[in-house]
Amino acid sequence: MKHWTERFDDDDGEEPLVRPYTITGGRTISERDDLALITLVTAISRVSPETARRLRKMQPEHRAIVGLCKRPLAVAEVASALKLPVSVTKILIGDLIDTGQLRARAPLAFAKAGGLPDMTILEAVRDGLRNL
Amino acid sequence: MDCATSDNGEAAPLAVKILVAGGFGVGKTTLVGAVSEVAPLRTEEYLTHASVGVDDLEGVSGKSTTTVALDFGRITINSEIVLYLFGTPGQERFWFMWNDLVNGAMGAVVLVDTRRLDVSFASIDFFESRGVPFVVGVNCFHGIKDRTEEEIRKALDLDPQVPLVLCDARDRTAGRDVLLALIDHLMAARSRTAPDPVS
Repeated sequence: MKHWTERFDDDDGEEPLVRPYTITGGRTISERDDLALITLVTAISRVSPETARRLRKMQPEHRAIVGLCKRPLAVAEVASALKLPVSVTKILIGDLIDTGQLRARAPLAFAKAGGLPDMTILEAVRDGLRNL
Repeated sequence: MDCATSDNGEAAPLAVKILVAGGFGVGKTTLVGAVSEVAPLRTEEYLTHASVGVDDLEGVSGKSTTTVALDFGRITINSEIVLYLFGTPGQERFWFMWNDLVNGAMGAVVLVDTRRLDVSFASIDFFESRGVPFVVGVNCFHGIKDRTEEEIRKALDLDPQVPLVLCDARDRTAGRDVLLALIDHLMAARSRTAPDPVS
């Protein structure tokens, strides 16, 4: 599949920042505010025929995301693979969650106000790093 | 409606993140690459007034958008936890406003280069003001240790409780040890503030 930018060669090259929003139908802000850089998204493997049909009518980028997320990937990893800005990627991922193609696991929320992770998580990370 | 909820594929692991900060050229991406299990990935984000929630972007007009790029890596801790390492972008005055990057970080590593300590001042100030725990990693390029730890601490005006670790950002083990120093720092802080009920 060609990257989306290759289909817009005759576009005005002076405004590259606007282009990614063409694939979001002009939306620039995700309606969801629960997606973070490290929210892990996974494709739902068994979907109804109706959901599968809906995916075929979506943008190629939507289908690419579902293909990538056979295993859990962070929003940032999806954005990197698609070479799209994080905010655009979040809009597309939001579409896929809304239509039942992806599910998301939010990261733990801490450190916003000096909070600290649980000791069990810290111990697991320490042990994992020691084995590196 | 559909059988999405009956999907019982394996659950996604829990994601945690650590920021790797410091000024331009101190070795952030090098450190991320040294410890990451994949080659550092790059992604970018547009920061606008709307997304940063401020109305005083110096030198940026109302409708302008700034693109910031960052490199990140991944370490699978175990089947349940994945650690992401995010190198903060070089355009410092912008990443400070990128809330999604900072929020939810367990802590940060501030890398410093002894020849240019000043480029990392802003990162230290930032984490101090936001209450994000951090350690300082002194990147000793080519084994150059031209200043003592005391001199560096004094020059950075570092809180005595903040660990300072000498490292070579290119070295996997040294990079890992900086991350371990941060985890130890977090564990010490954790046991001071709220001891686990089950211990």
